[in-house]
Order: sequence, then structure tokens, then C-alpha cells
Amino acid sequence: MSAKLEIRNLVKKFGGLTATNDVSFTIEPGQSVGLIGPNGAGKTTIFSQIMGEHPQTKGEILIDGKEISHLATPQRIHAGVSRTYQVPRPFSEMSVAENIRVGLMPDSIWDMITRGPNREREVEIASAIGLGEDQLERLPSELSMGDLRKLEMARTLATSPRLMLLDEVFAGLTVNEIAVISDLVQSMRDDGMTFLIVSHDLKALEPLVDHAIAINHGEVIAQGQYQDVMGSDIVRASYLGTA
Amino acid sequence: MNLRWHHFALWALFIVGMFALPQFVSNGTLRTMIFANFLAIFAISWDTLSGRTGYISFGHPFLIGIGAYTTAILTHRFDFPVEISIPIAVIATMVGGLIVLLPALRIKGSYFALVTLAMMELVYQLVQVVRPDLTGGTRGMSGLPTLTRGAANGYYMSVSLMLAIALSMWLIMKTRLGTALSAIGMNEEAVSGSGLSVTKLKMTAFLMSAFIAGLGGAVYIHYLGSIAPRALFDINFVFTIIVAALIGGAGTTIGPIAGAFFLTFLLEYLRPWLPGAERYMVYSGLALLIYMYQPKGMWALMTQATFKSKIRP
Ligand SMILES: Nc1ncnc2c1ncn2[C@@H]1O[C@H](COP(=O)(O)OP(=O)(O)OP(=O)(O)O)[C@@H](O)[C@H]1O
Ligand SMILES: [Mg+2]
Repeated sequence: MSAKLEIRNLVKKFGGLTATNDVSFTIEPGQSVGLIGPNGAGKTTIFSQIMGEHPQTKGEILIDGKEISHLATPQRIHAGVSRTYQVPRPFSEMSVAENIRVGLMPDSIWDMITRGPNREREVEIASAIGLGEDQLERLPSELSMGDLRKLEMARTLATSPRLMLLDEVFAGLTVNEIAVISDLVQSMRDDGMTFLIVSHDLKALEPLVDHAIAINHGEVIAQGQYQDVMGSDIVRASYLGTA
Repeated sequence: MNLRWHHFALWALFIVGMFALPQFVSNGTLRTMIFANFLAIFAISWDTLSGRTGYISFGHPFLIGIGAYTTAILTHRFDFPVEISIPIAVIATMVGGLIVLLPALRIKGSYFALVTLAMMELVYQLVQVVRPDLTGGTRGMSGLPTLTRGAANGYYMSVSLMLAIALSMWLIMKTRLGTALSAIGMNEEAVSGSGLSVTKLKMTAFLMSAFIAGLGGAVYIHYLGSIAPRALFDINFVFTIIVAALIGGAGTTIGPIAGAFFLTFLLEYLRPWLPGAERYMVYSGLALLIYMYQPKGMWALMTQATFKSKIRP
């Protein structure tokens, strides 16, 4: 159920800009790690390299000890990793149920044609994430920001990951919505899911993680126990913008 | 699958209506409707690829042309019977199209549109200079075997083919494959981010589209009994196909059919006033108007209207 993630010397250059510079860290199976850093630090870029959406310039990415850098995004998802997007962009002309359906699709085209959707599983995933059955036929344009984030989580969850990368899942949510997603993350942690969570909302993040990695200007500036990382001078300084 | 009994009832009604038509209209109108049926087939073919996935093809005549020329050459030069030459033509369209366009299909975005357009031009040139003894060069070929005689039979043949294709595509698009293809058009990144191979899906859409284009093209020239490269590889022909799908409503099955009939009759009625290519300006303008008012096409416009009349008693 749990996956291990190892990142080694990850470098990503966008033209002349170095978005991540020699980033290395390891997440053990079942660990939940917070990835923090100011705007533009390179957090999302780390996610898109892990998923293969923006292949790294240099470095290695291993899941359960296996190098995945040569794999296309769908194959990485089959290897057990899945992410949410910071800005949810659901399939706009599809209902909530259909959005989840895409995440649940089989590999084979033949199966897509001959086997109908797994309606039960769609409902199950939706309700696990706090989307009611009455919302299944709604269009994304009819959803609140909170529900859009839930839908984003649901689509990710539908791919049955063992390692989830969550990008700002709490942004724009009400206290109640944060609680729903927190509970979900907690219960998935209990089931052994490995997490890497990006969040500016440290209050929401703190109870969900045991470790933290702080980055700034694309470089890891501290990693270790959450409290130690948050207490370090260099991390505080980077958040205050003096570093 | 989201199938309801009233969908099938509507289809049954539509099919019965289409088959009853020859009782009520003149042979001239029937001949126009035959062209509408073929245009509908081509528009469905275009929509299967471009309407669903958003990969705009300007090269459908290229696909239609492979099908048409393959069967024309096989029957005319090598005396193949049509029962054999048409299936070969369909396979040739799928394989030939895939070989040429696969590299373009793998690349995201508008590059595909350009490559398909270039492909059409290229084939037009090739047909004229390479082995004109086979292709008939600039003049094309005539005296090809025809499948039917008389307007009514031609109509029944073309409408059966069109309806069979339309119904099959409608059913396929109702499955999860249809959902996945539409998803590409909405957010390709999230499709691969959901673990699906976008390339495989696009290839599937392309093969279905090529199958329909090849079949339609092959049967079309065996309706006409001749093949003329200038009419086939004509930019106006591409636009007619695309506009039919767009004004009818891309991403639906009934839309391209409605669009094809509307356009064919519009062009026909404009003929006495505007005999030349100006006609195409008129419908381009019209297409633009509809598109501005309702980007989802006439079909959406019509359902909107019936919906409004329902809530206003
Ligand atoms: N596709 C891209 N092309 C060019 N530059 C990019 C691209 N994506 C990100 N960048 C740049 O890389 C740097 C890191 O961006 P990234 O989005 O990873 O930051 P982040 O830590 O996620 O920030 P935020 O907290 O604002 O989401 C930024 O300077 C950004 O402008
Ligand atoms: Mg970010």
C-alpha cells in the first residue's frame, strides 16, 4: 500500500531560470511530509518533475527503489504516484461523476468500450471526499472552490495511488472544508498512504505531517522533524523574506 | 452507459423518417440529400477526431482521398470487385493515414492542423504527377463501377450508410471511450494526469475517423462513378466538412448530420444567385454568426429553444 520516494540531485532549468537546484530527499513508506517554501520556491516544479510533466534537467527520481524518470506520466501513475493541481482545472463540461470516471478508466480501449463505468466506486470515492450523491451530476462550474478541490482530490484518489502529492489542497477553503480534507488525509495515513503535501496554511498542515522539507530559491534549506524545521532560523528568515 | 429508452425512440423515429422521405420529395431534392448524406458521413468522421479531442484536422480530404483513390484504382485498373476493393480502401486509409499523421498526432496543439493541411496539398500534387497512368492525373477517372441506379436507390444506400455510421458512433461515444476522448478536448494534461495514455486515445479516435472517411470516400466515388482530384482536394471541401460539424454542433452525433443537411441545402439554394465560390463566403459568415451566438452549434441552439418553450407554457 505504501510507496517510498527518493529524489536525488534534482535540477530543473526553465531557460536561464533554475527552478530546482540539486534537490534531494527521501520519503519512507507511510511517511507524511510537508513541503514548504515561499512563493516561487519550486514546490510545484518538484511535483511536475515527479509526475514527468516537466522532465528534470538532471537527477533521479525513484519509487520503491526503481528509477521512473524514463516513464511517461500515465506509467508513473501506474507505478503508484498521483498528484493534485494547485489550480483545479476539472473537465469543465463533464459532471462530477464523469470527472471521477476519467480517473477510474481502465488501460485498455476495449475495456473502455465494453465495460460500463463503475458507478458504485464513483459514489464511494465522491462520498469519501465529502461530495454528496446529489452533487454527482453537477457541472464543475456549479461547485464552490472547496468542492472543486474535493473533486481534484477525488480524481487523484481514483487512480489508486500509494503516494499522493497534494498541492495547496487547503487554499480557498472554509474551516469546515479544511476539516473534511484533513480527516480524509488522516484516515488515508492510517491506511498507509505516503504523502508529500505542499501548503501555505501551516496550521492545517502541521497535524498532517511528521516531517518537513523547506525549500527556497529551488534549494533545500532544511529538512527533518516538522518542529525542528519550523524552528530553524533559516526557514523563518526565508518566510520573512530576509534570506 | 447513459442510455435511455427515449434516445432509442428518437433514433427509431429519425430512421423511419429518413427512409420514408423518398415518398414525399422530388428526385432533384433526393439527389441533393444524397450529397447531404455523404457530407454528414465526412462531418461525423471529422467530429470523431477533431470535435471530440480538439485536434483540428484540415486534412480530411487526404483521408477521404486515400479511400477513394484506392478503390478507384483497384476497380478501374485491376478489375477488383467493389466488395473487395472497398474494404481494402478502408484499411489503406487507416494504415496510410496513421503512418503519415502519427508523428503529428503525438505533438500537442495546433501543429496537427498545419500538418494535415500540408498533407492534403501534398497528396493533391502527388496524385497528378506520380503514376498518372494509375491515378488518371489531373483529370481523374471516370466510368468506375457504380453501386446503385436512380435517385431513390442512391438515396437509400447513402442514408443507410450514414445512419449506420451515425448510430455506431453515437453508441461508442456513449461509452467510457467517448468520455475519455472528450476529456482530451477539455484538459489534456489532466487526462494523462489520470493515468491514461493520451497518445493511445488520440490514435483510437484517429483510426475511427479514418475508417469512416475511407469508407465514405470509397462508397462516394462508387456512387458518382468518377473521381476528380480538383474537387476532392479542394480547400472549400475541407471547410464545408468542418463548418458542417461546427454549425451543427461538434462533439455530438446529431450535430454534424444536422449541419451537413443545412449546409448542403443552403449551398443548393444559393446556387442560382451565387454560382461561384462566393457561396462559401455566405456560409462562412453564417457559421461565424452561429458560432458567436452559440459556440456549441445549431443543435444546442435548438435544444435551448425547445427547453425555453417548455418552461414558458
Ligand atoms: N513552465 C514554466 N516555465 C517557466 N518557468 C516556470 C514554469 N513553471 C514554474 N516556473 C518558475 O519556476 C519557479 C518555481 O515555480 P513553482 O511554481 O515551482 O513555485 P512554487 O513553490 O510552487 O510557488 P507557489 O507557492 O507560488 O505555488 C518560479 O520562478 C516560476 O516562475
Ligand atoms: Mg506552486
